[in-house]
Amino acid sequence: MTDDLLHAPLTIEFGFNRTTGPVVGAFYTGLREGKVLGIKGADGRVVCPPVEYDPTTGAPLTEMVEVGTEGTVTTWSWVPTDREGQVLPAPYALALVQLDGADTAMLHVVDVSSTDQISTGDRVKIRWADERQGLLTDIACFEPAGGAA
Amino acid sequence: MGANRVAVIGCGQTKYTAIRGDVSMPGLIREAAYRALDDAGLTMDDIDAVVIGKAPDFFEGMMMPETYLAEALGAVGKPLFRVHTAGSVGGSTAIVAASHVEAGVHERVLTIGWQQQSVSEAMWALSFPIPFQQQLVAGAGGYFAPFIREYMRRSGAPDDIGILVALKDRVNALKNPYAHLHEPEISYDSIKESFMLWEPIRYSETCPSSDGAFAMVLGSEKAAEQAQAATGVRPAWIIGTSMKSEPATANGRDQITPQAGKDCAADVYRQAGITNPLEQIDMVEMYVPFSWYEPMWLENLGFAAEGEGWKLTEKGTTQMDGQLPVNCSGGVLSTNPIGASGMIRFGEAAMQVRGQAGDHQVDGVNTALGHAYGGAAQFFAMWVVSAEKP
Repeated sequence: MTDDLLHAPLTIEFGFNRTTGPVVGAFYTGLREGKVLGIKGADGRVVCPPVEYDPTTGAPLTEMVEVGTEGTVTTWSWVPTDREGQVLPAPYALALVQLDGADTAMLHVVDVSSTDQISTGDRVKIRWADERQGLLTDIACFEPAGGAA
Repeated sequence: MGANRVAVIGCGQTKYTAIRGDVSMPGLIREAAYRALDDAGLTMDDIDAVVIGKAPDFFEGMMMPETYLAEALGAVGKPLFRVHTAGSVGGSTAIVAASHVEAGVHERVLTIGWQQQSVSEAMWALSFPIPFQQQLVAGAGGYFAPFIREYMRRSGAPDDIGILVALKDRVNALKNPYAHLHEPEISYDSIKESFMLWEPIRYSETCPSSDGAFAMVLGSEKAAEQAQAATGVRPAWIIGTSMKSEPATANGRDQITPQAGKDCAADVYRQAGITNPLEQIDMVEMYVPFSWYEPMWLENLGFAAEGEGWKLTEKGTTQMDGQLPVNCSGGVLSTNPIGASGMIRFGEAAMQVRGQAGDHQVDGVNTALGHAYGGAAQFFAMWVVSAEKP
């Protein structure tokens, strides 16, 4: 019966833009320049990527700090199969990476070819995109930094 | 209203402008919120819950922003939720916030409405040809223009009443430093000569596209007394609230003076003890995005008999120095961050009662009406605020 019901496709395309504000804007500008910025929270710990307002107290945060381009895998998942729209050809790892000097981890991809090559605690480093535009994809991916931490 | 008294004890807003490129969305909202807290002599620690409202997500392409505004609004560890009723959302949001105090659930609730029109194109965001749904391919002005034409036909109003409304509101806006449009050169002739967008609506009879936010702190009787003692500003007691809805299309539906609007007004007047609105209400902040909606709503809200609303406009009754000043802030015709516009109406009414409206303050406002509508003139939200404790 349901085959008889009318149906029609809808593809929505519509333009949007964003205002980033002073903190998030500085983070993306930093990526374009090849550096990663975090921000010092009310408790002195560094949040990266940075946030405008303290996650606990809500106070406005202003103290941007540069963190490292190397970090530690805090947990990970494995992507074994190529699918359309993925940022890397599979296989690769999705991982939470805590950059040196930061107290929070960010989700990104790690370019390794088998699960033998990644584990929690591994050291990884940023592989920058060839052309940086001020986007999170300026970090093309992470790759093993060589040697365990 | 219910068992517990509720009052507006703090108001805050941003300077409205076409593009607030210097702040993020959370930064914009926070600016209004913290101004309202300052006005109430409070900090975020004093707030029990946060109720926010914005226009459809597609207007900004920001889906469910309430899910990541907790830290920006200092709402960590507190209830934070969103209300949505199209263009009337700012009013509905304030009413939902008030109901929490009225019910005795919270002492102090922060409520905020906002929009960044600059990040997209709200005019066309609701005009997608979604299969098998009613389409609004004309944009909002094109949708409402035929109803304005019908109002003119029914009422026999002179065809320049809309110009008079637009001139009044844009001149009023010059007295409001927060208003988006400041056009000192505005004149009857410049409005008349502005280009015709959707006949009979001219460009200068149409609301602008604005970025901005408005916030209020609503408090219990105890909170209101404490705030007044701390700030010296009297609370605006909420003496009636009402929301009504109806379908966009229905047999016998009158789009010129919708039944939901009449019912909403009757409900809010009954609560506030108003039997003669023109005599008993001192000023109105009314949702007028296209000039002709002033006379149309004057009738829908019971300030004039059907077909007679335009006469109040023509006589100057709705001017700042008239018997019933309407939109002293400059109204939606001068400032339109859609998701905030209803709350601006409610908040400006409260500011008038509190004596906080600065150069656009009307002397001796005791009772004021805030009004908002949304969708296809199908969602209504209203409140009446008073200087006198109910």
